[in-house]
Amino acid sequence: MDEKLAELRERFTEDLAAVSSADDLSALRDKYLGRKSGLIAAEKKRVGSLSTDERASFGRDVNELSAFVEAEIARLGERFAADAETRSLERDRIDITLPGTRPPRGHLHPLTLVRQRLEDVFVSMGYAVEDGPEIETSFYNFDALNIPPGHPARDSADTFYVSGDLALRSQTSTVQIHAMQRQKPPLRVIAPGRVFRRDTPDPTHNPMFFQLEGLNVDRNITLADLKGTLQKFVEMMYGPNLRTRFRPSYFPFTEPSAEVDFSCYVCNGSGCRVCKFSGWIELGGSGMVHPNVLETVGIDSEEFSGFAFGLGIDRMAGLMYDIDDIRLLFENDVRFLEQFA
Amino acid sequence: MKISYNWLSEHVPLTPGPKELAERLTMAGLAVDSIESAGDDHVLEFDLTSNRPDCLSHLGIAREAAIVCGTSRKHREPSFEEIDPAIETVTSVEVVAADLCPRFTARIVRGVKVGPSPKWLVDRLEAIGQRSVNNIADITNYVMFEMGQPTHAFDLNLLHGRRIVVRRPLPGETLNTLDGSTHELSVDQLVICDSDRAVAVAGVMGGEETEINERTTDVLIESAYFNPASIRQTARMLGLDTEASYRFARGADFNAQLRASARVAELIVQLAGGQVLRGAIDVYPSPITRDPVPLRESRVERLTGLKVGIERAADILRALEFEVELRAGEKDLRAVPPSFRIDVSREEDLVEEVARHTGYEKVAVTLPAWSGEGTYLPNERRRRGVRAALTALGFDEAYSFSFVNGERDRLFRPRGRPTATLSNPIDSNQTEMRGSLITGLLEAVQHNFNQGTRDLKLFEVGRVFEAEKEGARPDEREMLALAISGPAVRDDWRGPRVADFYDLKGAIETVLSAVNVSGFTIERASVEYLHPGQSAALSREGEGFARFGRLHPRVASLYKFRQPVFVGEIEFQKLLALEADQIRYSALPRLPASSRDVSMLVPDAVMWGEIEKAVRDLGVSEIVSVQVFDTFKGKAMPDGFRSLAFRVTYRGEGRTLTDEEIAAMHERVRELMTQRFGAELR
Repeated sequence: MDEKLAELRERFTEDLAAVSSADDLSALRDKYLGRKSGLIAAEKKRVGSLSTDERASFGRDVNELSAFVEAEIARLGERFAADAETRSLERDRIDITLPGTRPPRGHLHPLTLVRQRLEDVFVSMGYAVEDGPEIETSFYNFDALNIPPGHPARDSADTFYVSGDLALRSQTSTVQIHAMQRQKPPLRVIAPGRVFRRDTPDPTHNPMFFQLEGLNVDRNITLADLKGTLQKFVEMMYGPNLRTRFRPSYFPFTEPSAEVDFSCYVCNGSGCRVCKFSGWIELGGSGMVHPNVLETVGIDSEEFSGFAFGLGIDRMAGLMYDIDDIRLLFENDVRFLEQFA
Repeated sequence: MKISYNWLSEHVPLTPGPKELAERLTMAGLAVDSIESAGDDHVLEFDLTSNRPDCLSHLGIAREAAIVCGTSRKHREPSFEEIDPAIETVTSVEVVAADLCPRFTARIVRGVKVGPSPKWLVDRLEAIGQRSVNNIADITNYVMFEMGQPTHAFDLNLLHGRRIVVRRPLPGETLNTLDGSTHELSVDQLVICDSDRAVAVAGVMGGEETEINERTTDVLIESAYFNPASIRQTARMLGLDTEASYRFARGADFNAQLRASARVAELIVQLAGGQVLRGAIDVYPSPITRDPVPLRESRVERLTGLKVGIERAADILRALEFEVELRAGEKDLRAVPPSFRIDVSREEDLVEEVARHTGYEKVAVTLPAWSGEGTYLPNERRRRGVRAALTALGFDEAYSFSFVNGERDRLFRPRGRPTATLSNPIDSNQTEMRGSLITGLLEAVQHNFNQGTRDLKLFEVGRVFEAEKEGARPDEREMLALAISGPAVRDDWRGPRVADFYDLKGAIETVLSAVNVSGFTIERASVEYLHPGQSAALSREGEGFARFGRLHPRVASLYKFRQPVFVGEIEFQKLLALEADQIRYSALPRLPASSRDVSMLVPDAVMWGEIEKAVRDLGVSEIVSVQVFDTFKGKAMPDGFRSLAFRVTYRGEGRTLTDEEIAAMHERVRELMTQRFGAELR
């Protein structure tokens, strides 16, 4: 190799090692690779003074040197660019543990959450959601439900009266009557809503609460259909493999009547705090629609039969979310409300 | 009601232990709540349904226990010697009010010695939660818990005229009862009297004057059947809820009177000595009869799905002491209910008897056949959409009581009309049905302020009431109310901004976009409970849909609020019922748009809404949007002016606008501002 080229290569290597910034690098590039005044360009000019024999090898060597310089400068340039990027990114580093910017999400009330879920389950089973007034006449609240005058349920100790014949409905069963008056069987109806009873508030009572009434009237509806329907409901609401149990009971508007329990979804029946160590959780009251009720709305009780059931939405919410004092449901303390979805 | 296992086993041979027995009775419809052991005995606490007063005694439970144990109960007639003279020669009973007292019986025991009860009797009563008084009172108590029939013992010699009259009280008549209180009686009640005065409130409680005492020697035993409704009403009016009134009010056995008084007489002779006069007085002018109730084998299956043969059904009913006439060939029967089963009158009642003693657990699990899909309430999807939109904005959902303080509620009622007043409220602060949801929400705001929570966004969906006039039946309609107070964004570490009118307005606009209905206008409105400078009404086609704004300082001071509170109430039912906008695609603009800003001093009286409308009304079709982006008042500004900055965006149709064209159009906007609105350049 040409001695001068070797010397130049050595000089470049030394110069390169001294470069500490992108600006230095740019100057270095000009110094060696400048088109007119660059050191390599200057070397290239020497070619004219060389013999034909020497020219070929000199040309190869000078090009090789040029490529080497080019590559080394590019390599360092990339390193500087990467460093600069790193520094720039570092400058933009923030405390990502600070809270995200958004209005904090609000929360639906537990009663809404349970009610929507109940509606979804029953609508999927073919039921129509219906509603009725919260202030009712004695006919809908009592007479039509086979609760005769003088019956304790009519007592003003239990029912809120408004004036004369009007009372706050004490059960959503009133909607059964409206539904059967509106539509002849077959009909499948649920009616969620507010009901009122004169209970002094305590951890398990409120003078206002929410029920869901279910009604299914058709030809050949039996107690077995009621059992199957509630069994299916329990599975959809609380999980598969749960069992239901019917206990004979009494409601004026059903005969036969049954209290329905389901096996505790927490302990699966072995007994725990949630089921008060009984293995069973009360679901609600139910039964076959009393023939007096059917006849009151002009349905032939020989041709048609039906079942009805009532579920306590507040009670279900209490159970589902482990609320030990249901007075909280109507206090609207945001520290309570914020705990729901 | 408490039942002693040992006592019960005197009436029926019990094979299962207390726990097993409780389980079987519960599954037959007599719910046992708890079992407690008491010495060598167990006490079962029953929670009975109101249709089974016949089970309010050991005998009553024994009848059901016999069936669930597959045995029969022990029958035993009371026995004692009787002596002359016959009772009729010593006393007489006259029932004047036979409608309220269908049956009255009496026996007399003479020569008794009143004293403490023997230990076994004291223990028995104690086991079921009863306190011992003296042997005679304890015996009447004991017989009631044994047989279900309440009886009463009078000191015969303290009865004036030694006779009994059963009648309604005289006007103004009073009676001192055994509990030491004096009652004014009303003329529709029923009293037991001697020849001069009332000596007991029939079926409820005896009187002091004729009470058994340590000097008593001769006892008249009353054992009667009273009209249930009358006893219920009397007990309630007098505030005397006794074991006797509880049983009579629910319906006693109209055939148990003589046997119960015989049992009382038997025990008195055993425990207090004395001799029973011959015979008993039984005033029972119109004996009560029961009609037979039919039952078809097919009906049991139709209602319960259970296949129970008619012979088996007959067996069950006979075991329940019904008189059964079986027609096996016809597969039906007729059953006369026993005198104690007042709850049975229709075929379905018999179906239940057969089903519960066949076992509800044997009822199959089937699903009814059905085609057709379920449906939600009208507009439920939109209702849920609004709830979701509001929670996304940070609103928590509240539920308030439907009854409110009427005085407060009247401040907020949209049309100021009455609602409905409760005739028997339980809280003197909750006497009227709500006419506005704001009443409840402000109570919630107050509650949270008191708990130290000062940043609130609340909403409630629910019904309000509105009557044409006081006492009329109110209409019910669904409303949506909002309340905001405190920081606009809770816990914003970038610095707080206090929520104001525009946050509430924005929430209401969010509701409108969630239901996807346009065409609303929001205008300044005067609303009594809102700040006159920060109140607005939402309307559409001349119809009001909402009123909202800052709570008037005078109203806020009623609640002692120390920070601004913003409230609004929307006619939700009406809003949900509106037809949603049709969604139609319009072609995307191909040409670029250009924006120019206007920044001017504008007189305070000029509202942004007027400016926006005026700019649009210029009729310049190239103006595609007008948006305010800043407004403020500064010290350096002339009085009565505020700074207002807005951006107008222009786009040409078919070609790109030149700078000159835009400048010309924008100049028209600036002229409008200066000439029409008196705005000045900054």
